[in-house]
Formats: sequence, structure tokens, C-alpha cells
Amino acid sequence: MTTEFQTLSALALVALAATWLVRRAFAKKQNPDCGSDCGCAPKKVSSAPRRP
Amino acid sequence: MALPSHISSTLAHPSSTRTPVYALVGNPNCGKTTLFNALTGLKQKVGNYPGVTVEKKIGTAYSQHGQPITVIDLPGAYSLAARSPDEAVTRDVLLGRRADTAQPDRILCIIDATNLERNLYLVHQILDLGRPVILVVNMMDLAAAAGLTVRISRLEQALGIPVIACEAVNGKGLIELKVAMSRPDLPLARHAWDVPAAIAPAVTELQASLVSHDCKAPFIARAEALLLLTDHDSVRVAGSTPLHARTAEILHTWQKRWEDEGTDWAGALVNSRYDAIGRIAAEVILQTGETGPTPSDKIDAVVTHSVWGWAVLGAVMTLLFISIFTLAEPPMNWIDDQTAILATWVKHAMPDGDLRDLVTTGVIGGVGGVIKFLPQILILFFSIGLLESTGYMARAAFIMDRLMNRVGLNGKSFIPLLSSHACAIPGIMATRTIEDPKDRLVTILVAPLMSCSARLPVYLLMIAALVPGDRVPLLTKVSIMIFMYALGTLGAFGFAWLFKRTLLKGAPPLMIMELPPYRLPRVKDVALNMLERGALFLRRAGTLILGISIILWFLSAYPRAPDGTTDQQQLAQSFAGRAGHLLEPAIKPLGFDWQIGIGLISSFAAREVFVSTMGVVFNAEATDDTAPLRQAMLAAKWPDGRPLFTPLVCFTLMIFYVFAMQCMSTIAIVKRETNSWKWPLFQTAYMTGTAWILSFVVYQAGTALGF
Repeated sequence: MTTEFQTLSALALVALAATWLVRRAFAKKQNPDCGSDCGCAPKKVSSAPRRP
Repeated sequence: MALPSHISSTLAHPSSTRTPVYALVGNPNCGKTTLFNALTGLKQKVGNYPGVTVEKKIGTAYSQHGQPITVIDLPGAYSLAARSPDEAVTRDVLLGRRADTAQPDRILCIIDATNLERNLYLVHQILDLGRPVILVVNMMDLAAAAGLTVRISRLEQALGIPVIACEAVNGKGLIELKVAMSRPDLPLARHAWDVPAAIAPAVTELQASLVSHDCKAPFIARAEALLLLTDHDSVRVAGSTPLHARTAEILHTWQKRWEDEGTDWAGALVNSRYDAIGRIAAEVILQTGETGPTPSDKIDAVVTHSVWGWAVLGAVMTLLFISIFTLAEPPMNWIDDQTAILATWVKHAMPDGDLRDLVTTGVIGGVGGVIKFLPQILILFFSIGLLESTGYMARAAFIMDRLMNRVGLNGKSFIPLLSSHACAIPGIMATRTIEDPKDRLVTILVAPLMSCSARLPVYLLMIAALVPGDRVPLLTKVSIMIFMYALGTLGAFGFAWLFKRTLLKGAPPLMIMELPPYRLPRVKDVALNMLERGALFLRRAGTLILGISIILWFLSAYPRAPDGTTDQQQLAQSFAGRAGHLLEPAIKPLGFDWQIGIGLISSFAAREVFVSTMGVVFNAEATDDTAPLRQAMLAAKWPDGRPLFTPLVCFTLMIFYVFAMQCMSTIAIVKRETNSWKWPLFQTAYMTGTAWILSFVVYQAGTALGF
């Protein structure tokens, strides 16, 4: 693993993280809640599996 | 009143082509969410205190024949004459006022068998809606323990609707309930209630106007007419659907006439309902046992005592923090060791380079530093869960009411403030149970001052740096932790007092809060809630904190310094270092340098990011990447060689974090709940301003005193 490859891989990971954080920030503007990070219940919960 | 055949048919037989929709309603703390979870198999949060559910939840249950049934769990309400935002959600869904929710076909009304008469008031109002209703009499076991016998068949006869005896906690009565819910037709209530003669013409006239001018269905119109006449505040009853001018005029004319005659129309309606309920209750309830003090009453004599109550509260809090420190230590050390082993392994497995540096310093150093606190988070939530499920939290609210009344708040604000110890966001949402808008706003403004679980890693890191090793007794660490929690609570009370006397003036409200009976904690539910919280903490560490740690690594590693520069010089000239240097003049009077400044900036995303930032910043300059963060921080120095993290600086940092508004998610939720940017901006300004001033005073006074 060359130094250049390591640098490129690291920068790609940084770009990926930055893109994800920016997308997350914009998503929050449309629906400003904690994104369930804090354990707040979602407004609509998915249905439970059918019981036998 | 006769129901037109086409409407009756629609109501009693939900269309066979779509899933029937049931609304689950009842008084607060009567077991709605427990029943909802039992029916749907979901795990919505439950607690033995009122006001846990403040927004509707939707789930799917299955009938005995496997047919899907939609169930909407609604916030608890004592009456359809809603006084608080959470009760308004229930009223609006039942009256079909919510654009985002279809009006339920049928209503599942749940009541507490130990408080039958009071619970029947809401049932009585719901029967006015003319919808098929199934009545679930919950907590039959508690009623039997209290010497009460509820004659279910008599109740069924009196109301003319299916009545199911149930113990939702133990799953008893669920099969009978599902059979009833599966019925293709349900009888409409035999609703024997005479509206007082003086008020009946007004009800008829208002109903007619609501049908013709406000386009309401006949039964809904009658229910709304009764609600309008039950409350003096017609604007509050109308909510988001203002009355047509003609309807408002009719209402005003009747009210004026009654006022001139001296008739208390609202009181007459309420009393008339209670008379009807009283007759049913007398027929249905049999007192078969002793009526002396219950075990709950005996415990309450101590736990809510004006002196002993505080002693019990203090002992509970001390025990909680002792367990956080002692029980969590072995697993924390284990996580620390595993993190170090992983970092060493990566270091040996990969050649020197940026990727290796990112993995060891950014990912393992940043995320590992936060994951280490998982055991303490789990213990905190398990302890809070135990206290909630036993019913002690409601007693704590009762004790605190005396103190809170002095600052202009009441015990109803206590539950939101208490919830804020887990996270300010559910705490702020829980303020929907508060009727008075000013009280609600004050509670929202001060809720983030309560120390949330995101502050816990910061406090623990600072306490570890402040009182390192085994030289300091455990009680000292516990005392510092309790002091921080108490400081946040006192700060919240202080600002509530200030706001109630300046910006949001108002008389101290009376508190009416139900003290639920003590129950044995359901360890399974508490453990599940704890694991859920733990999973959320890990998810946050693996997403938000990981992302920020990666960015921070880049910001602290770039732009690259020329070869031969030290790690310290590299960090200083990096993007993060430059931002820290930019902030340093503002925070230097608090004893913080630019490196701490980087942590303050990044932790605005979330407070615990401070810990991961310290991991990235100090591990980046440490000679050994695997050195525990605490040791790296203790080795950090000012340019003149003075240690950076002195006990005074650690203490000041904790004070800063108690008061600073370092949470973007909280700002967003305050904006949503207040429907304005004004209040979240004000909140950020006053909290961060207070944090700076108090930190300045503490650091400068401490320095002057030679600390």
C-alpha cells in the first residue's frame, strides 16, 4: 500500500463523510427533529410482523 | 337521536376492502401504550406516570383471523375539552380535524378499573361521537387488590357497547379484545344521557349550524356543540378549525342570554354528565374489601413527606451516580483495552501513511473515546427506567412541585425537565402536556439546562482528568457529578424564575397531577428500553460522531506542514488549529486554549463530540497513539510549559458545558415547537452567554484564590 494510495483513500473517505454530513444537515431542515438519535419515537411506526 | 341509516351503516361496518382503523384513547397513565404494544407487538415507551405519549403513534395489530387492524395510540386526555397541546391531538384525531390522519372507524376506549368514575367522563364524551366503541377496563388486578369489584356485564348493559376486562401488563383479556375488534359489526352505544333542559335548545341550534355552515357530520356536530358549551373558551375548543360566523353568533347569543340569567351553562353540562356517570358507577362498582390506606399510601407517607421526601430523593440520586461510577468501571476498562489493542494492531498491520493515521487517530481515537462511555449510559437509563416504572418519578414531581412553585412553574413542568436528563428533545416534546402557553414556553427555554446524557461523557472525561487515579475517594467524584446535575437544575429554576417575572409574566399555576399506584418494575421492559438507548448511542457513535471524527482528522492533518515539523506544529497550522486560534481570544479568559476551542466548535453538532475531538486533537500530538486520552490530555501544555488541563480548567469546562447550548438538534426542535426562530436564537444566546460569564467568573476567581 503506497503512501499516495493511502492519501487518496483517506481523502476519499473524508469526502464521503462530508457529503453524508451535508445531506444529513439538509434532511434535518425538511424534518427538524433529532433523527431518532435521542430515542424520540417516530411519528409513524412500521407495523409489527404478523403473529401466528 | 336517530342516526340516518346510511351513516349508521358506514360507522358500524368499516369497509371490507380496507383495514379498519381503531383509535386507542383514555385518561393519562391508564395503560394505553402498554395495550398498544401488546396489540401491535411494538415497543413504544411506557412509564408509570402521566404524559409519556404526547403524539399519536400508528401500528398494525392482527385479528384472531389474521386480518390487519390499524391502531392509533393517542395521547392521554381527561376530557375532549382539550386544555393542552397533547390533549388537542386526541380531540382533533377523534373529531376528524387532522388532515394527516383519517378519522378512526372505531374507538378503543381504555379505562383504569381503580378510577372508574373519573375515567368514565371521557368515555361518556366519546360516546357522543356516535362511533362504535369498545370499552377496555384495564388494571383489573389492581382494582381487585384495592377491594373493588367491577361488574363488567352490568357496565356493558348500561352503555350498550362491548366491555372487556383486561390486564394489559400481563396480557390478560387480549384474546377477548381481539375477538371483539374482529367483529364486522359493533353495536352503537345506548347513550342514556339527558342534556339539561335549559341547554338542550342551544345544543340543537348549534348542531344544526355546525352541520349546515361548518359542514360537520351530525354526530360530530352534536359532540362539538356539547364541547363548545362545556368550555368558556370557544376559540380553544375550535382549535385549528375556526367556527363559521353564524355558528359563533349563535354561541355568543346563547352565552349572553345565560350570563344575563346567571346560568352556569358549562357547570350544568359537566354536572349533568357526572350525575349520569355516578348512576352507572353506583350500579357497576362494588366495594368488597377494606377501604383503609393502600400500600402505595403507606409508602407515600414517607416518600412525599416534606422532609423525608427530600432525603429519599437525595439518596436515590446518590445511589444512581455511585452505580454509574462503580459498576461501569470494569467494562469501561475493557473497552479501553480493546480500543488500544485494535489501534496497535492497525498500526502494525498497515504501513505509515494518511489512511493509517485516519483509522488510528480519527476513527479509533475519536469513536472509541465515545464508545467507552456506553456502560455508564446503559446504567443511567436502566436506573431511570426502574424509577419510572415503579411510579417513583411522579412522586419526585410531587416533591419538586413545592420548589418549582416558588419559581413560577408547577409539577407538570417537572416531567419534561426530568426527561431532559436523557435528552432535551423528548423533554421539549413532553411540554405539550402543559396547558398554559407561557408556562410551556418557559419550560422549553430552560429544559436544555438539565444535564442530558450527551453531557455525561464530557463530565466523566473532565472528572477523570480533574481527579485522576485512585487517590480521590469515589464519593468526591460522585459529589462533583451531583453538583453538575444540581447546578443545571438550579440554573433551569433560576432562569424560569427570571422569565416568569420578566418576559413571560404569569401567575404560578396550580398543579393537578395523578400519583399512580406503585408497581413492581417490569425488568424486561426496562432492559429493552435500556438496550434501545444503548443501540441509539452506538448508532450515533457509528454515524454522526464517526463522520465528524473523520472530518476533524482532515481538518487537523491538512494543510500539511513541511517535513520535519512536530505534531504540535502540524496541528497548530492545520485548518482546525487556525479555527481554534481564531476563537482563542474569546476563550482564553476562561482558561481554554485553541485546542479546547476546536472541541467547543465541533461539539456544537453534539456535546459528546467534544470527547471524540479531544481524542483526535490530543492523540494526534501524542507520541503513542494508543495512550489513554486522559493521559494525553494531562500531558498537554501551554506554550510557556504550564499544564493545560489543571483541575480549575477541567472544572470550568464542566461549568461551561452545563450552561452552553451545544446542540443543533435541540435548536431545531425548539424552532418546531415554538414555530419561530426567535425563541431558539434567544435560547442559544442566553445559555451560551451565561456559560461564558459563569466560566469566566469561576476561572478568574479560582486563579485569584491560587487554584
